[in-house]
Amino acid sequence: MTDAADETPARGAGSRPGDGRRRRFLSPDAAFGWMSRLSACVVLLMLAALLFVLGEAAIPAIRDYGARFLVSSDWRPNELEIPKRDARGKLVFDGGEVVTEKIPPSFGALPVVYGTLISSALALLFAVPLSLGAAIFLVRIAPPRVRGLVSFLVEFLATIPSIAYGVWGLFVLAPLLQDHVEPALQSLLQHLPGFGWLFMDTHGRPLALTGRDMFCGGLILAIMILPIITAISRDVLHAVPRAQIEGALALGATWWESIKVMLAYSRSGLFGAVILGLARAAGETMAVTMVIGNNNQIQPSPFAPAQTMSSLLANEFSEAETVAHRSALVEVALILLLLSLAFNIVARMLFVGSSVQPSRAA
Amino acid sequence: MSILGFQGRRRLRNNAAFALCLFFTAVILAVLAAVTWYLLSIGFSSLTWKFFSEVPSGCTDADVGGMKHAILGTGVLIVLACLGAIPLGMSTGVFLSEYAAGSKLAQSVRFVCDVLAGVPSIVVGVLGYELVVVPLGHFSGWAGALALGFIMVPLVSRTTEEMLRLVPDSYREASYALGATKSRTIVEVVIPAASGSLITGVMLAIARVAGETAPLLFTALGSRLLTLDPRQPFPSLTAQAFVYATGPYEAQRNLAWGAILVLISLILILNGLIRLASRR
Repeated sequence: MTDAADETPARGAGSRPGDGRRRRFLSPDAAFGWMSRLSACVVLLMLAALLFVLGEAAIPAIRDYGARFLVSSDWRPNELEIPKRDARGKLVFDGGEVVTEKIPPSFGALPVVYGTLISSALALLFAVPLSLGAAIFLVRIAPPRVRGLVSFLVEFLATIPSIAYGVWGLFVLAPLLQDHVEPALQSLLQHLPGFGWLFMDTHGRPLALTGRDMFCGGLILAIMILPIITAISRDVLHAVPRAQIEGALALGATWWESIKVMLAYSRSGLFGAVILGLARAAGETMAVTMVIGNNNQIQPSPFAPAQTMSSLLANEFSEAETVAHRSALVEVALILLLLSLAFNIVARMLFVGSSVQPSRAA
Repeated sequence: MSILGFQGRRRLRNNAAFALCLFFTAVILAVLAAVTWYLLSIGFSSLTWKFFSEVPSGCTDADVGGMKHAILGTGVLIVLACLGAIPLGMSTGVFLSEYAAGSKLAQSVRFVCDVLAGVPSIVVGVLGYELVVVPLGHFSGWAGALALGFIMVPLVSRTTEEMLRLVPDSYREASYALGATKSRTIVEVVIPAASGSLITGVMLAIARVAGETAPLLFTALGSRLLTLDPRQPFPSLTAQAFVYATGPYEAQRNLAWGAILVLISLILILNGLIRLASRR
């Protein structure tokens, strides 16, 4: 790890100070430099440790389930005892007693991967139009003072901790959905052809609307990712050269048509903003755990309780007792980590060459 | 649409888009208002003197006790996290800005910092569990502090780097011209020149981790006892609020609302101080 930059001081100060002195094995000055270099290496090690420790702890699950882990939807941490059935599906009796058999625990991550993807997609569906609208408002409509105030308010949304959104969602949003919004939607849509499945479970029975479901999780996530998408798209749109807008207007474009020029010009940055929002939504834990209903089954209806990768971890990790259960949970954490790394890396690649720094905007 | 003609349609679309932008902004502000209104009004009504002065009594009715243990616990966890994260983060920031701004190593460290800042906090909790809780055999405050510190490091190092970059090179050159070594220049000239904004960066990181719950769930776990011993399961406002809010008792739920109001006030105060510091 020898770097040329070390030979000449990075900040452009002529020759290296202290060169004239007799070289000791390690002068205090050099020691300071090495210490700061060492801590930079520690930061690199932090990411390596994260990947290594999680990977190592997930080995039992990876070995036992392999790729099946991603496609199986069985999540049974405990042994299950069920009545034994013979080849024709009849119960087996032994002296008047039903014979039972034990099914070993089984772990499949499909329901939680599905839950994470769908809840994040719902969140984007709600948040992206709102955020883009607000970003356009901030860049092209609002006078400077309003812009400052609205920006501040939107950024305030970002400082509210996840647990606060969780408590609000649990005691305000979920009851509102249960008592008013979902029944209204149900009476509106239920009898329209093609919408019936929204209110059925997997067995075709009507769902009990609880307000704590995928829909509520998506809404809470949408509220939580509004600030990051708004802030970054605001900066991205702000960086569009004036000549682009003025050129469009000079050609006779309406206000909206000039906005479309802006959107087209900055599409990769806007896409990056959306991906960063997606990464945030996928990793978000507390608020989702409190409102999504925590049910480890794949249900097509958004009004059915669900589970995400992070809410599964929050619910089960501290109570996992067997090695198999714990390592399966760690594998879920590993999948979540890799997913969020991928999202973040893709998003950052979209900002390469742009003057917008997403880490500052967020 | 044909009655409008081409120009009419353009005008209509233009006005509709304009109105929609206003409407969407209004929706976001309305959501913000709805969230803060409930957090403030219910939170305030559950804040009493007992909230700050008592620990949980074990009862679940009106005598439920307070959150003194959790307030103290959050404070201790933040201090412990800072003790590890601030030296490491700042020293990394110094490296990025002063020693090797353009090197391969610096670029990869910068990239890793940005990526680490995006790691879901619950995953960091799993790391704390595997690194500390498993070897020790039980949940502990150390594990919680480690997880919070882990989250702080990339934030502190990136802000430190950016703040040090803002110090003009002439400061460094003047110091070198007086014969100071590089380390002395950094410690006595560059860092003091940026001290205000460095403190800002640290406070931003504190404001971020003060509200974290997920990384504490299976590291510090939470506790109903007033404790200062980080070798034991450790209380925190956020974890206690989670337990109370998801529990069945009305009195405990009220405490959860109160805990959240205290947290948000703490974060707002930190942000206010940041604004004050950066204005100067």
